Amino acid sequence: MPNSLISIGGAAKQLGISIDTLRRWDTTRRLPSIRSGPLGHRFYRQEDIDIFLRDESALAKQWAITPVGVPPSNDVYCQTRDVFQARLERLQAVLAGKVPESAVSLLSAVAGEIGNNSFDHNLGNWPDITGIYFSYDMRNKKIVLADRGQGILATLKRVRPALTNASEALKVAFTETVSGRLPEARGNGLKFVRAVITGNPFTLKFQTGNASLLLREHDDDLSILYVEEYIRGCIAIIGFEGST
Amino acid sequence: MIIQIKKFGTTLVSRPSGKEAWLAFQPVLNEVIENDEIVVDFVDVIVLTPSWADEFLTPLRASFNGRVKLINTENASVKATLAILDKNRF
Repeated sequence: MPNSLISIGGAAKQLGISIDTLRRWDTTRRLPSIRSGPLGHRFYRQEDIDIFLRDESALAKQWAITPVGVPPSNDVYCQTRDVFQARLERLQAVLAGKVPESAVSLLSAVAGEIGNNSFDHNLGNWPDITGIYFSYDMRNKKIVLADRGQGILATLKRVRPALTNASEALKVAFTETVSGRLPEARGNGLKFVRAVITGNPFTLKFQTGNASLLLREHDDDLSILYVEEYIRGCIAIIGFEGST
Repeated sequence: MIIQIKKFGTTLVSRPSGKEAWLAFQPVLNEVIENDEIVVDFVDVIVLTPSWADEFLTPLRASFNGRVKLINTENASVKATLAILDKNRF
């Protein structure tokens, strides 16, 4: 047995679950094992356990909130749209079989809109780190996107100078067809995101500046809260707990 | 004329790729015979967003007003995208 592999008992202890649960997760590929030794016992790589345990939302938020920007780790960093596109296609493969086909399509579309929105609105104007943070957590059924861009208020203020705070800007972005990229007649992206989230068993938490929006299925109104922790750019957490 | 959208890709999410598709397709569109119907086929498209569609479908509809017919639009993201685009057209 290679020293770097963890026994099923050791993995169960780290994860706080039973060995039977781990065997089941192996069968369903939720956390696949490595079969080793003459009897084909199950072993786990420490790296796989660490990835399984980490809180993607907290890591992304930490990255977005830190005053001094540093590029995130390579596995979550999409410096360009091409990298994002490739990883978005990878997400489809990961989601396939775990959620209905329609949810694969819609979740990829929502993530695609939000991620590309970051590129669209910060192209040539990234304050420090170019590109986005993109990861997903199949254990908690969450997709996380973050950027260290200018934020929605700064972007929309160019076309709506009367906007005074992030909360107003967030409301406009999710309710009105307006583009921060005038003279382009665009701006359907976040309205699309809202329609998909509220029409399906999904959730969305979206923060920019001090404004945080929470959207759930069947929500007619926007619920935007003031939050203490300031994020200059944006962070979006898409949940699909209800999609099985 | 039939436009097979899958020939531009099956995950169509960004504005630049939609714009590139529109520009690259101009020579073909220039050959469309007057009054010919433009059939846009979404078969096998897995992911479509308004960002892509606004760069391709919106100008296509504007150029061939009333002659654009959409088929195989059952995919969930295709349906949701078309719903948003249509909401803003009318």
